[in-house]
Amino acid sequence: MDAQYENELRNLQMRFIGKIIAGFTHEIKNYIAIINESTGLIGDMMKVGKSVENDLPAYLDIIHSIEDHIEKTNGHFRYLNRFAHRMDSPLSSFHINESLEELIALLKRFANQKRIVFKQDYDTDKPTVYSNPAILQLIIFTFLEQNIMELEQESTITLQTTVTDQSVRVTIIPNGKRIEGSSVSIPSELLDIVIKELGGNISQDREKETIILLPLRPL
Amino acid sequence: MAHTKVLLVDDEKEFASALAERLQLRNYDVQAAANALEALGIVHSFRPDVVLLDLRIPGMDGIETLKAIKKFDSTIEVIMLTGHGDVQSVENGMKNGAFEYIMKPVDISELTVKINKAWQKKQVSR
Repeated sequence: MDAQYENELRNLQMRFIGKIIAGFTHEIKNYIAIINESTGLIGDMMKVGKSVENDLPAYLDIIHSIEDHIEKTNGHFRYLNRFAHRMDSPLSSFHINESLEELIALLKRFANQKRIVFKQDYDTDKPTVYSNPAILQLIIFTFLEQNIMELEQESTITLQTTVTDQSVRVTIIPNGKRIEGSSVSIPSELLDIVIKELGGNISQDREKETIILLPLRPL
Repeated sequence: MAHTKVLLVDDEKEFASALAERLQLRNYDVQAAANALEALGIVHSFRPDVVLLDLRIPGMDGIETLKAIKKFDSTIEVIMLTGHGDVQSVENGMKNGAFEYIMKPVDISELTVKINKAWQKKQVSR
């Protein structure tokens, strides 16, 4: 890959990582805000003399909410940690479904803003691909972000994985009306180079679906 | 300061219900909305003194919601709820008539001071 494309790819990666971290920190901040209000409410209830004996269900509900949001926070940290380790080696074998789940979790905040729902239709065999996980996530992120920006509110985006002979097919299927929206895309020449380096193939119909074919390799 | 009417707009239902209850325990009359459309409906029916508005709510953009509230009744004071990274949105909100902003997670004492100041400003501007 020549220096200009390399540079362009790095810039897109930096932007991608920035977006993921922004979404992550926003989500964590929300969980902390809920935990903060819930513990504060327990303190307030005690101060006004609401006894644990008389108001046990209310206290238990709040405690359950705190536990639930600590678990969600933990889950989100797990996703970010796995995401960060995708960059450890340029090529590796990994479960494509897990990689997509991670992206969906880290992108959910942006989708929620427009009430766009992700639907998952994964191959139950948990296909393993041999590829560059960080670059692949960048490509899929860019298509997902494009759809989030360009689809009307309350649309859906389906992510589908299927195993064919020697490859895994990832299909991104938008369902909703298109609106005017500016989004960042990977220049087609760069996309062609990158996907060839991954040993894969992309076919894209903006209105319908994007299909990414990747080489299948056992772990 | 009893019975200042506060509308809390936030799509995180558990956050909104816990904060609403804490404000009610401090004698504020509180209603909550989870999105812009619901919020504007309550603004019309409830006529709040102060709106606590999360800038990232589903549906209409937070700033657009702020403009719609101010257009309906410019004396309603709006305090924006925001995360640390929303500096541009906060500036935009202040330009469009927001009274103040407060960062999440919220410090309840700081919030009540801001609500009370907003209420006082509203009394003067009536």
